[in-house]
Amino acid sequence: MLETFKSTIDYLSAPTISFSILTVITPILFPPTDWFDKINRKLGFYLLWTKTGLVAAMAAITFFFIVGYIDKNFNVILTKADNFPIVLMVYSIYYFTWLAMHKAYINDSRIEQGLKPSEYNDPDDKVLVWPDLVYIEFIALILFTVFLVIWSILVAAPLEEPANPAATPNPSKAPWYFLGLQEMLVYYDPWIAGIVLPIFCVVGLMAIPYMDINKKGDGYYSFKERRIAIFIFMYGWIVLWLFLIVLGTFFRGPNWNFYGPFEYWDTHKVVALNSVNLSEYFWVKLLGKGLPENILVREFLGFIVVGGYLFILPFILANTWLKETYNTYGPTRFVALMIFGLVMLSLPLKMYLRWIVNLKYFISIPEYFFNI
Amino acid sequence: MFKNDERYWDINLLNKWFAISSIIFLAVTVWIFVDDNDDEFKDYQREFRKMQVMVAQEKLEQQAEEINTEKIAYENALASAKEDFNAKSEELSALSNELSSLKDRHYNQNMKFQSQKANVEALKFLVESENVHNDHGPSSRDNYNAALEKLDILRLEREDTEIAIALTESKIKKIKSIVKEKQEDLDKYTKQYTLTKNKLGKLDRSRMTMANKLGDIVRDLPILDFLDPYYKVNQIVVADVKYDVNFAAVPVVDRCTSCHLGIDNPDFSEAPQPYTSHPNLDLYITSKSPHPMNNFGCTSCHGGRSRGTSFVSSSHTPNSSEDKQRWKEKHDWKVNHHWLTPMLPTKYTEASCFKCHNNTSDLAGGEKINLGLTLVDQAGCNGCHHNEDWPTLAKSGPNLKRINEKLTEGWVAKWVKNPRHFRYNTRMPSIFEQPNQESEEVTAYNNVEIAGITEYLFKEKQKNIGSNRTKYIGDPVNGEKLFSAVGCMGCHVSEKNPVDAPHINNYKNLTKVHGPNLIGIGSKVSAEWLYEWLMNPQAYMPDTKMPNLRLEPQQAKDLTAYLLEDKNTLFDNLPAHDFDLAILEELTTNWLKKSNPEKVAITKASKMSEEEKLNFIGEKSIRHYGCFGCHNIDGFDDAKPIGVEITEEGSKPVGKFDFGLFHDIDHTVPSWIENKLRTPRIYDRGKESEHLDLLKMPNFYFSEEEIEAITTAVLAFNSNKVSESLKAHNKDPDIYKKGHRLVKQYNCQGCHLIENRGGQLVEHIGPPEYGPPNLNSEGRKANPDWLLSFFKNPSIIRPNLQVKMPSFHQINDEDWDAIISYFQHIDSENINYRGIHQFDPLSNEFAAGAKLHEIGQCNSCHFYGEEFPTGDPPTWAANLALTKKRLNAGWVTEWLKNPQSIMPGTKMPAPYVPDSEILSLEGAENDWGNALVTLNGDTTAMLDGLRDYLWNIKGKTNIDALIKAYFAENGYDFDSDGGSDFDDEDDDWGDDDDDDDW
Repeated sequence: MLETFKSTIDYLSAPTISFSILTVITPILFPPTDWFDKINRKLGFYLLWTKTGLVAAMAAITFFFIVGYIDKNFNVILTKADNFPIVLMVYSIYYFTWLAMHKAYINDSRIEQGLKPSEYNDPDDKVLVWPDLVYIEFIALILFTVFLVIWSILVAAPLEEPANPAATPNPSKAPWYFLGLQEMLVYYDPWIAGIVLPIFCVVGLMAIPYMDINKKGDGYYSFKERRIAIFIFMYGWIVLWLFLIVLGTFFRGPNWNFYGPFEYWDTHKVVALNSVNLSEYFWVKLLGKGLPENILVREFLGFIVVGGYLFILPFILANTWLKETYNTYGPTRFVALMIFGLVMLSLPLKMYLRWIVNLKYFISIPEYFFNI
Repeated sequence: MFKNDERYWDINLLNKWFAISSIIFLAVTVWIFVDDNDDEFKDYQREFRKMQVMVAQEKLEQQAEEINTEKIAYENALASAKEDFNAKSEELSALSNELSSLKDRHYNQNMKFQSQKANVEALKFLVESENVHNDHGPSSRDNYNAALEKLDILRLEREDTEIAIALTESKIKKIKSIVKEKQEDLDKYTKQYTLTKNKLGKLDRSRMTMANKLGDIVRDLPILDFLDPYYKVNQIVVADVKYDVNFAAVPVVDRCTSCHLGIDNPDFSEAPQPYTSHPNLDLYITSKSPHPMNNFGCTSCHGGRSRGTSFVSSSHTPNSSEDKQRWKEKHDWKVNHHWLTPMLPTKYTEASCFKCHNNTSDLAGGEKINLGLTLVDQAGCNGCHHNEDWPTLAKSGPNLKRINEKLTEGWVAKWVKNPRHFRYNTRMPSIFEQPNQESEEVTAYNNVEIAGITEYLFKEKQKNIGSNRTKYIGDPVNGEKLFSAVGCMGCHVSEKNPVDAPHINNYKNLTKVHGPNLIGIGSKVSAEWLYEWLMNPQAYMPDTKMPNLRLEPQQAKDLTAYLLEDKNTLFDNLPAHDFDLAILEELTTNWLKKSNPEKVAITKASKMSEEEKLNFIGEKSIRHYGCFGCHNIDGFDDAKPIGVEITEEGSKPVGKFDFGLFHDIDHTVPSWIENKLRTPRIYDRGKESEHLDLLKMPNFYFSEEEIEAITTAVLAFNSNKVSESLKAHNKDPDIYKKGHRLVKQYNCQGCHLIENRGGQLVEHIGPPEYGPPNLNSEGRKANPDWLLSFFKNPSIIRPNLQVKMPSFHQINDEDWDAIISYFQHIDSENINYRGIHQFDPLSNEFAAGAKLHEIGQCNSCHFYGEEFPTGDPPTWAANLALTKKRLNAGWVTEWLKNPQSIMPGTKMPAPYVPDSEILSLEGAENDWGNALVTLNGDTTAMLDGLRDYLWNIKGKTNIDALIKAYFAENGYDFDSDGGSDFDDEDDDWGDDDDDDDW
């Protein structure tokens, strides 16, 4: 029984499957449109944001970790001092998402009934900085310090041996907060996964206030009033960032191979990696020729695809599917929105292309270390 | 109270929260201090303090008892002195009064004197000015003179008082000294006791004063303990041992003594761990030992994480699985994954000796590493595994270039397939019939390879192993006697029963099987070949280690007969080696495919004849399996070793070792090496490898003791370096290492005891005087010129020995030089060239020596040139006419003083030398002669004289022919009986000092 559970989890944890599940579930959990909302209601996903949902989900997560703690293989990974934050992270992601969504649902129904959101403190909606804000912050600060101190006493810092270029650890893992980036390295060239994408993340987050012209949902929890924005953010944050961290922590073992959480980290495991470049698909597989000598000719299709995706697609969208958005946001905001959105979307796209058609790079110019 | 109306939160509730969280915070802060100060080592230190108190208390009681009786005498003396002192108290007070009044007076006088002196100086200036300038008013000269006079008077007055003071003071001192002396005597007598008592006072809190007790508690309080805590991390910074952090090397800081508190204190030899004192304090730790703790630290030998202050963090390594289990239960022990150099299990600690002693395998106290290094040489590890620090000197197997004259192809094929079918304890490792070759496919390939190797070895060679004609065969019964008498057993055994074969767990047993176990020879070689080989091994194999025993033809025939008698019928009856032609074709193609496209390979293979194919496979297989690592084979003179370099194998990170697919072997370096040695192909288990990719290290079938020793040696080959100043081998010249290795290579220690190792042959022969001599002090003993000539052409030294020093013609002058230098170096002898020892035959000493010689009856045992001794052959000893050529004069005196100390068991008695008491007796001059009486019992002078007398003995130095002729006629029958029939009456003379007969 337990073994079946473990092997099912192992099977479902594979990046292809777990990522797909999350990609499918996210729009249902955070429905951006009425259509998804209908599915949500039908499947009862909204129950997750009720108090019963909280208890059930917390119980499920705890059950998983308890099983993991008992399991010989998962125990090794779970009890590493490095990985302790991830366990906390899993709990806190869910708890705070639940808190926001729980309150948002209450407010949504209040607004539907014509009431004000519950956060409004009538008559004049005023809260004092002292003592109402600072005092609770101070108490929180003390309690959090207590928590950090206890943590540091109970769990020794995971110090390792002096770095030795001749003996690198296998797997070599980044600090936990960078494991999402390290996971991206599997699919993208280092300069994109390590430099361009993180910069876009940071700049994109900074740009949100300038691009967000929706005045609703300001100062109170609400889902319905900004459901597309919440869906996009949740997908990027939970699936493309936090999930990749969890994946990198628990499911990546020696040689960066995938291992189910209950699987033994066998160093000898070999996985065939036969990825193919777009140019090879076109010239070799489709046309049955060799690769042209000229790099630009060789990679022309890649340039068209990447250029089209980033520079032509926004124009097409502005005139068709997202015409309304374009009109609301104006050209500057729309272009910025498109660029950040498309770059974000490029990650799951690339992941799926890798998994489905073994695509290595759209543009592959190893001669100049330029690969996309 | 304030109004809560305006507030969003209930402020009273928040206050409560604040109070609770602050209290929790305070509690946690206390917890920090507790946790921070609750170190594991402090528990050990507290426990140790208790033990120290107990030990000190015991000591104190013991010392108190020891001094108890005599102490009273001292105390009484002190008391009576005090009484005396009291009696004189009036006198003393009078004296002190006088002294104080004298001192007062002196003070006053001194003041007057000083002020007068100032006046004089002032007047002196005026007078001097007058002398130079004439324009002054009235002269001060008179005043000056008067002042000077007065100063003198004052000075004398003062001096008088000073004398009086000194006198009074000495009187007082004298009275006081009576008590002081007695007190000092008492203190001196009770010094040890007082020291222990003081020590105990510092250790035992219950003996402290209140203030000290308080101080003892306060010094270890958190934060305050930065000043001078009692419980603290003890550390030794070892400047000469560096820890390599990859980008820098930092001195090692050993904190082991934080818990191993009794390590340098012999009082704790029985204490439990971690307080136990080091088991060998004479060699380690103490400042008097050659390895003091402050210069070497702990981890330079033991390894481990030097800065660790807890059981786990210092990377202890269990010695056995029981230890491991116990540690896990007791200390929550686990492998410290992030520390690349864990402690060596104690059974492998000797590996560290090699860091500083890499030029010897005769290290005193290093039996395991000695055996390991010797086995590395003997087994020929370096033939395949290059090693910079312990390079091979010679190939460990026989030269195969003339194999056609010795063996048949049929025999060779069977032998290569499994040498142990012929000789159960052969040193030749098994390449085939190993666990990873069990499949039918691989066995078929192997059979082809064996045939190929055989074919290649005999390629283009005339096959003639000689005849078995009776002219080469003598009397086997006499042969058997000779086998144990002439010295064969220095290197060989002939033991058919594996149970009785030497079990290699120490170096001595290893020297017994330096050469092959000579069984089944009748199934191996022909009489002609064996006879020729015994007569002159070098004629067949110039680089052989087998020396020429200078046998008489008849002896060689007898030995041949004896050795050929034993046949291995089981081996003879094994079916002739066979292989499958189709597989030959396939394997040839496989090999060709490695450097050719498959089609070309197939064509090439099909064009080759069967013989060509076999030769081709033979050549490839010899290269593949590295046969040339141990054997000289035509065509492989410059071949590179096939194995991994092992110069730094011991420090390879454990992750670099392939443990295979199974998880039943501990992932530690020692355990990898052990298993590799035990079952070399073990890491192929479960793998799907092609035939040519299989592991190929052959199986030496080492015993467990050998495995442990070799593992120690391999762990010793590492990159953990220490400073040049610590390295002991830097103190020895390079030639020492070379000489040492040569001594091992030719198994000198099979027959001789050198550096207190070896000499097993003596045990076979019986009483040590009939065996090869031990070579203690050889470096100081032998004249190097003579020694070289002896090595080149050995002559008879001890006429009654049947075993004789063989001729090692294969050793060249350079190597002999190294060997002689080696002997000299171990005896700290630095003189290479010596003139002839000069003496005065007219001197008193010489005359005394002559007298000693006369009464010593040296001629009963010793030859004087061609003059035979008067005694029987069993007591015969060296030719004294040779002495001046052979020995160093200084050594001879030393030898004469006490022969037993240099050569235990020797028949040579120390010559009787009269002492001064005997020589002063009445009539001594009559009995002893004038010369001896004059020397008046000066032993060295007398023995020097005796030595000089020996130097004056003339005669033929080489009497080999004479002796040989004698024994040819009379035989050697006596030595097989152990010589006990011939216990001569002279045996114990010289031992009795009170002998009136003299």
